[in-house]
Amino acid sequence: MIRPRGRMLNTVCSVAHHHFNPSSSLVLPTTTTRSLSLGQPLLQAAKQPPAVVPDNRVELFIDDKRVLCEPGTTVLQAAAMVGVEIPRFCYHDRLSIAGNCRMCLVEVEKSVKPVASCAMPVMKGMRVKTNSVATRKAREGVMEFLLMNHPLDCPICDQAGECDLQDQSMMFGNDRSRFTDIKFEGKRAVEDKNIGPLVKTIMTRCIHCTRCIRFASEVAGVDDLGTTGRGGDMQVGTYVEKLFASELSGNVIDLCPVGALTSKPYAFTARPWEIRKCETVDVMDALGSNIVVNTRGGEVMRVLPRPNEDVNEEWISDKTRFAYDGLKRQRLTLPMLKNAQGVLEPVDWEAALTGIAAKVSRVEGREIAALVGGLCDVESLVVLKDLLNRLGCETLCTEEAFPMNAAGTDVRSNYLLNTKITGVEEADLVILIGTNIRFEAPVLNARIRKAYLHNNLRVAVVGKKTDLHYEYDHVGDTIQALEQLANGEHKLSKDLAKAKKPMIIVGSSSLQDADGAAILANAIVLADKLKSGSSSGSSDHDWKVLNVLHRHAGQVGALDVGYTPGAGKIKELKPRVLYMLGADAGVVTRKDLAADAFVIYQGHHGDAGAEIADAVLPGAAYTEKSATYVNTEGRAQRANVAVTPPGMAREDWKILRALSEFIPGASLPYEKLEDVRHRMADIAPHLLRYGAVEEANYFKQSHALVHGSKRPSHSGRALAPPQTVLEDFYMTDSISRASRTMAKCIQAARHHKTTKYSVS
Amino acid sequence: MNSSTVLRRTIVSAIQQRQLSASLLPRTLHTSTAVRAKSITELQDAPRKSVEEVGLGRVNREKEFPKIILDVKDDITSFNGVPKEHIHERTARIYVPARNTMQSATNNSRTWKLDFDVRERWENPLMGWSSSADPLSNLAVTFSSKEDAIQFAEKNGWNYFVEEPQPVWKFKPKSYGLNFSWDKKTRVSTK
Repeated sequence: MIRPRGRMLNTVCSVAHHHFNPSSSLVLPTTTTRSLSLGQPLLQAAKQPPAVVPDNRVELFIDDKRVLCEPGTTVLQAAAMVGVEIPRFCYHDRLSIAGNCRMCLVEVEKSVKPVASCAMPVMKGMRVKTNSVATRKAREGVMEFLLMNHPLDCPICDQAGECDLQDQSMMFGNDRSRFTDIKFEGKRAVEDKNIGPLVKTIMTRCIHCTRCIRFASEVAGVDDLGTTGRGGDMQVGTYVEKLFASELSGNVIDLCPVGALTSKPYAFTARPWEIRKCETVDVMDALGSNIVVNTRGGEVMRVLPRPNEDVNEEWISDKTRFAYDGLKRQRLTLPMLKNAQGVLEPVDWEAALTGIAAKVSRVEGREIAALVGGLCDVESLVVLKDLLNRLGCETLCTEEAFPMNAAGTDVRSNYLLNTKITGVEEADLVILIGTNIRFEAPVLNARIRKAYLHNNLRVAVVGKKTDLHYEYDHVGDTIQALEQLANGEHKLSKDLAKAKKPMIIVGSSSLQDADGAAILANAIVLADKLKSGSSSGSSDHDWKVLNVLHRHAGQVGALDVGYTPGAGKIKELKPRVLYMLGADAGVVTRKDLAADAFVIYQGHHGDAGAEIADAVLPGAAYTEKSATYVNTEGRAQRANVAVTPPGMAREDWKILRALSEFIPGASLPYEKLEDVRHRMADIAPHLLRYGAVEEANYFKQSHALVHGSKRPSHSGRALAPPQTVLEDFYMTDSISRASRTMAKCIQAARHHKTTKYSVS
Repeated sequence: MNSSTVLRRTIVSAIQQRQLSASLLPRTLHTSTAVRAKSITELQDAPRKSVEEVGLGRVNREKEFPKIILDVKDDITSFNGVPKEHIHERTARIYVPARNTMQSATNNSRTWKLDFDVRERWENPLMGWSSSADPLSNLAVTFSSKEDAIQFAEKNGWNYFVEEPQPVWKFKPKSYGLNFSWDKKTRVSTK
């Protein structure tokens, strides 16, 4: 029998003769007496007590364990349901089935040949043996063919120690090979490809599982990778030398079961067995992707994703994965104060805090203001707010703005991604307003693409046309187009109103200027219109339509504890003391402050904020503190300490607590982190319900405020997200701006634009 | 009933007992019942009783010897010699380690682990080794359940927090045939 897809190693092909044909097995006369045939269910029942199968689920036995599963499930998946793990190389839960590595061969009773369990649908009464002699022999044969063309370079391979091929060859491999090089040609050797600054390729190690190809075309949505040649001459690559231009490209490193695709920045720096793992969350975008920070000797060596179905599935963006080298450069490690010459000078903590306390005590509370950036954790935000409130200061702002007319941020549903990230998989329509979601939340974009592929999700975009890696209806790129849509006057209005579960995702990047109010108001009107249209046909009355996608990990946390979005109040006030907590976006400059203003910067990187500061306090980055972050859904997540802050830097809440001791009458009662967390629970209990989403409500009330007031006017400008092309993606915050790897990515993306192989 | 009848009955019951218990034994230990029946010493033994009969079986033990639960918490901090700064100032983290996404196997993500807040580490200037002054940094204990881990932490007087594991992934059935379906979206040409 010829396998339908012949593009694989010829070595593997010879095993493929064992491909099991389900239709023939049903008509074949049973030659074996070991078991009973499928056609004799009564005898089968006599052997095993009759099972009561209430629905259409299929009953089968894997290693004599009974499994009930949906028809269409594969044998491999059914085995996973009872905890039987079948070895595999090409099969991956989140990719389509390729069935070409043959490592998952299992013995099925009454089938003469072993069966590739990853591609084999379950059948009634099937008896699968995953650990029989025949199964192990089949795997040994596959392994022998794979190793014939795989180099013996494990000692210099970065994958060694966490390599599926290595592990499985220990388990199933033969201790000797029958391969003799009779023609003295040597082992197969394949030229390495240069696919960019992130993924290192050693293509001789490739076993042609095609996981990377499937990832690129299915999840990332770029058909950059493919195969050329056939059989033993098959090669995986980009055909021409070009950049693997995807913001999710690093995931192919994880997917590769061997060492063919490894991380370029991580190459030869550490071994898996000397690494310590810390499970924490990411702050590079507002999704709060779950990550595992790998450290060695107080240094972050790499960042890997941590599977979490509700947030990032199993993927992380390249910024999340590779910007970690920014944590080692441009760091603030010593407290600094400006001397008489106006030059920042390193001082010890006591001198710095005394100096700051003297300046702060000199002015009145209402002349103080605070500005917080996008990477701040909730603990430090709460302590800062408590400290300044004690001094009589009420001007605490975030750098990221949000329209404050109507309900503003008083109602939580106004600024959350209310349907949650998983809502995308249920939705049948997504309207993206003023966001380039591909760069603002790449993992969420991958989920939209998944729903687009498998659930027929329809996507409409209001804003600048960009390549999102799926097809969408372009509504228009101006606010007028959005207004038409909200009023039901647009030519797509009727069509989109048919949606049963619509989602509107408004990008917070479009809400930054004066037009933000109009954009949000129109989005709310549109959401109500779609909601009323959908609830007549939909059974789900709790379906929420309006979503806001934030760009910064700390923004929702800051709004939850009561910060004012936008620096407008600071610019009005012209404060004499400004406390900047990780504020590096350059929203406030010296011109916005009083002439003699004293600026304190607390944060981890020497970036835009530290540049204008009179006093610098070195804080901890996200890998260095036990902290809480609330993602754009409103999901509180805990970050853990992977490494300690460098030099004299300290955890941020501790710095603020120490400072409070130096200011008369402002001493804060927090001794331990638990005390701060108790205070957080006082403000908002959901901040400590880690992993859970605290849902927001009061849609009706907040939307009534919008409907009741006049629709805000706008300039009619185009909705153009700040990130439009790939090079805009890599540097967005103080950590990624300090990253050398991100700089190389930008360089590569710019070069890629000039080549004739670039698509967009 | 004369004495020979009694003896015969004893022999018969002994043989039956032996056969029963022999059938419970693994195959390798199986010996011929005929041989055993002939052994005089065995015949004079008292008839064997099964584990269930003597009440050592799991079910019977629960019934006959009810557990006495004392409302006292184990606390070994007063005599285990651990310095106070490593009891009251340490926070243990109890969690199920995530699956390593670099690999497909899941065996390391099935038990509960307990480890501690990270303290400073540095590179030894002489040899380049990774150093730490934290005696608990290499304590990584594995437990079969969360409750065991919590009990261990409480016994040792550590603060702790529990991170619940991520919800199990619900997979959707998928088939090899989808690669050849006439759905333009899932049918791709690069592989």
